[in-house]
Amino acid sequence: MSAVVDLLAGGVTMAVPVLVAASGELVSERTGILNLSLEGMVLTSAFAAVYGSGQTDSPVLGTLCGVLAGLVFAGGQAVLSVTVRANQMIVGIAANTLALGITSYGSRVLLGDAQGRTVPGFQPLKVPLLHDIPVLRQSGLAYVALALVVVLGVLGSRRTGLGLALDAVGADAAVADQAGLPVRAVRYGAVLTTGLMAGLAGAQLALSEVHAFTDNMTSGLGYLAIVAVIAGRWRMVPMMLACLFFGVAQALQFTAPAMGVNLPVAILVVSPYLIALLAVSGLAGRSRAPAALAVPFVRKG
Amino acid sequence: MSPAALEITSIGKTFGGVTALDAVTLRVQAGTVHCVLGENGAGKTTLCDLVYGNYRPDTGSMTLYGEPYAPARPAEALAAGVAMVHQHFSLVPTMTVAENLMLGDGLRLRLPRRRLEARLAAIAESYDLRVEPDTVVADLPVGIRQQVEIIKCLVRDPRLLLLDEPTGVLAPAEIDALLTTCRRIAAAGKAVVLVTHKLGEVAAAGDAATVLRNGRVAGGGPLSKLPTRELVSLMVARSPATLDPLLAASLGLAPADLETTVPSIRLSPQDRRKKAALRLSGVTVVRGDGTTALDGVSLTVAPGEIVGIAGVEGNGQSELAAVLGGALPVAAGTIEVGGADLTQAPPRRRTEAGLGVIPEDRLLDGCLPGMTVADNLCLGRLSEFRRFGLLNRRAMDRAATAVLTDYAVRAAGPRAPLRSLSGGNQQRVVLARELALDPLVCLLAAQPTRGLDIGAVDAIVGRLRAAAAHGAGILVISSELSELLALSARVYVCYRGRLLGPVDSDSPTARDDLGRLMSGTDS
Amino acid sequence: MPDLMRHPLTVAALASVLAALVGAGCVLAAGVSPGAAGSALWDGMFGTDYAIGISLNQAALLILVGGGFVVAERTGLINIGGEGQICIGALAATAVGVNAGGLPAAVAVPLVLVAGFAGGAVWAFPAAWLKVRRGTSEVITTLLLNFVGLGLVSLAVHENALLRQPVTSAETLPQSEPLAAGAHLPLLGLVTSPATIAIVLALVAAIGLGILLRGTATGLKLTAVGLSAPAAARLGLPVTRLEMASLACAGGFAGLAGAALVATAPFVLSDGFSSGYGFQGLVVGLLGRGSMLGVVAAALLFGFLNSGGINLQLVAQVPAATVQIVQSLLVISIAGAMLWTREANS
Repeated sequence: MSAVVDLLAGGVTMAVPVLVAASGELVSERTGILNLSLEGMVLTSAFAAVYGSGQTDSPVLGTLCGVLAGLVFAGGQAVLSVTVRANQMIVGIAANTLALGITSYGSRVLLGDAQGRTVPGFQPLKVPLLHDIPVLRQSGLAYVALALVVVLGVLGSRRTGLGLALDAVGADAAVADQAGLPVRAVRYGAVLTTGLMAGLAGAQLALSEVHAFTDNMTSGLGYLAIVAVIAGRWRMVPMMLACLFFGVAQALQFTAPAMGVNLPVAILVVSPYLIALLAVSGLAGRSRAPAALAVPFVRKG
Repeated sequence: MSPAALEITSIGKTFGGVTALDAVTLRVQAGTVHCVLGENGAGKTTLCDLVYGNYRPDTGSMTLYGEPYAPARPAEALAAGVAMVHQHFSLVPTMTVAENLMLGDGLRLRLPRRRLEARLAAIAESYDLRVEPDTVVADLPVGIRQQVEIIKCLVRDPRLLLLDEPTGVLAPAEIDALLTTCRRIAAAGKAVVLVTHKLGEVAAAGDAATVLRNGRVAGGGPLSKLPTRELVSLMVARSPATLDPLLAASLGLAPADLETTVPSIRLSPQDRRKKAALRLSGVTVVRGDGTTALDGVSLTVAPGEIVGIAGVEGNGQSELAAVLGGALPVAAGTIEVGGADLTQAPPRRRTEAGLGVIPEDRLLDGCLPGMTVADNLCLGRLSEFRRFGLLNRRAMDRAATAVLTDYAVRAAGPRAPLRSLSGGNQQRVVLARELALDPLVCLLAAQPTRGLDIGAVDAIVGRLRAAAAHGAGILVISSELSELLALSARVYVCYRGRLLGPVDSDSPTARDDLGRLMSGTDS
Repeated sequence: MPDLMRHPLTVAALASVLAALVGAGCVLAAGVSPGAAGSALWDGMFGTDYAIGISLNQAALLILVGGGFVVAERTGLINIGGEGQICIGALAATAVGVNAGGLPAAVAVPLVLVAGFAGGAVWAFPAAWLKVRRGTSEVITTLLLNFVGLGLVSLAVHENALLRQPVTSAETLPQSEPLAAGAHLPLLGLVTSPATIAIVLALVAAIGLGILLRGTATGLKLTAVGLSAPAAARLGLPVTRLEMASLACAGGFAGLAGAALVATAPFVLSDGFSSGYGFQGLVVGLLGRGSMLGVVAAALLFGFLNSGGINLQLVAQVPAATVQIVQSLLVISIAGAMLWTREANS
């Protein structure tokens, strides 16, 4: 029994940063911008959060540094995707390499001997009752980030003008433009939202879970978040479930032996991608990717 | 006198050295329907785009109800009380009608659902336009979508409404309803600008007209002082008397305005004995979602005969063109060309059997604008241009140059990208490619003159007639009723996937008969 | 007159200057003199036969992946799946190679390479099938298949029943047995250089693909499909077959790169052996802008920079990440200027 609780608790902990990053990416993709650079955003934010927390001795200021880094990174991505209309695939992949380079370089030059050293981070909140439930034993940052995920889910639903605008821009930017919607502003806002959430995800990973920075510490977390968006077929609730499942699959890698289950780790590692493949294959129900995903917009003339 | 609703003063716009509009001046009074007339390429759409803020003019100025007006983007035009119905649909198909109608409200949090319902009730009251708000747009028929477009504009209670070629996809009865709506909107004190190339609409709805030709104002004034034939001569700079009846027909001149009658091809007995050029028996096509697009269509085209198919868009004629070209599978029935069964044949075998196809949407599957003229002409028969396993580009260029000369195509050369040619010249290349089939048994021409100017229409119609005279059977699918009546001996109507008629084009009531069949009021 | 400032080569040169300046800044910030760093970089790239050999071997992989990418791109398909296809190609090549004991090189090497090509092509197949039959975006499916491919390699080298070398002690690494000697790619024969025939193979492939795309009817047909599948179908071209073949071809060449990778020292398959060549090859293919000459040039640049970067860290104590930063800035600035140069040339 306790193994199952451990598994769930571990799964939720693993799922939180993925979910936070994915909910931001979902906003972007609904407007037609694909941020393959999500991985780089989260990694850069994690680094900035650790550096900031180490310098100021305050995990809150560290988180702010992480969010700021995420926003700056996303701002660059937005300029390239929306204004310059560069190929979103190339820029995304190159931006991930850039983030890996900058953070690895930065950790050698800025952190120097302090590389890998523990910095002040967040501890699980000591809220009465909540604290007794292992699954909910999360840091304050996690709760703030999850609250933001819920806010995004509500504000971005099709029942609000904002949500309608997101989907309209992603379905056909030219139509949205003719209807008077500010296409570019919506897309900038969406990418910056992704940056904000990626910043929180990076800070959560670095300050609530690891309390330190190591090279390439995200190791695919950003890609996993994009995969969760795909597996959830660009809808909030299925995406949340996908994140939870991915988290549990990851946690199972560590708890499976304790539970006496002998599963090759690789099968657990690839399961999220197989599920996402199934989700987009159209073999099980209809998939509905935004029609203008990764298509830049410019008014004719 | 109160200021004009819209006053355009000496406006000019060029695109990369090509003048689209030159010193155009226009005055639209509130409470009137003002028609802007002109051939394809005369600058009508550019004018709409300038008023709606899609581009900024290079020279000149505009005022709206006396205030200076210079929109930088559509949102500013909308805010100033200008709304536009686009030539192509501008609704998000995956959203409901209500969602589409609320898009223009911008980035607010709460959707003004209740206010929308009040507005819809008011619009139903004053204009007799009704729509089911919770239907998904993709599920609506074309005519209803057009209504949604207009309601989308009216919801914002605009002061000026632009309609850019709104009737292209509508049945005669729907066109009448639309023009009635335009009159009602004008009667409510708003200004309506109706942009069209069809004169019939002007006569039915307009108070005043401005005619554009080659980007300049060719003339205009109150319609009470401008008879139809004067409008025609302003549009094409020729007297209507010198026009080929077919060209006059494509401008929407009523048959009563025409002096000559249409020569129709009569078949000799030995032609009739030959095998049919095209025979469809019970052809049924089912769409991906399980609905029936074509329902048991049977039709025979004899060699040397031109047969027309009319119909409101979305009634199956697009699928008919696609199924003949081999882009759609046949669910039941047979297709024969010159006696050969092609029901299941891939496009290549259809071409070999002598079936030429001019697809409905030139830019979708008619040609490859990104490739050169020579590539476009030779792509279907590359095996003729192979040498040592490589392509013989020089032979391709020679073949293409011959076609360019023969068809009087204006192009920089065989290696010019097809996209650098005008629409009319592109269509000539497509036509040349299909007519070059040897033997040419049957030619399907779907919307062959859509979007072309008079000169190109003239050339293409001449080629179609010549091909028929040489013994090919020709099936023309068109939404231009007048053109079909002028070109073909008998005209069928596609209605809800079934083929109705035929109507003999010599019959004095042909036009009315077809109109009734198209709107399904004839049972 | 074409605007000189907007010429792709001018843009590439400006991007290189920008990237080099940032690189120099990184070197200075690390407290190393630019001279020392420069000579370390140079030595790592061209300084020794060894360095040149390593660089050429890497460039060969990138040419293969990037060249395949261009073939798929011709039909309008974007193959993000190079990494996964390298993995499966290498998996197949390893399976053949470790069992090729006793075969002469003239038999074993082609066998290994064919297995690699087939493995990569097979791994591209699900994406091609879903694209053609269900309309699923190949960008998404090939991206996902990368992770599955990486997982399968991991599975294969961790499971004794699969490709893991016999476990003799607790220190036995999770990797495959070395390929049989006959299956090793022959060296070019330059003294003290590890350069294999991979670079020759890659250049021959690039020339072949260049001729295929530019000079043959097949190339023209692929282009037509990429520009408009409906129009190509109307003209009687076998669109689905051409699309599937081109994506399988892209996968095959990536798989070939995977085979070349395991058939080069240290001749084993292990976790993370592909070290991002798939993604780098994709970038090389994109930067080549449809031209094989462009692909070869970009691949050589990246190959030499990669090995120069390693030396930078080893010798001058400048973080190797500097090269990553320089490379990615180069890519981002060229990608950002692509529209600008295209508008000038159209």
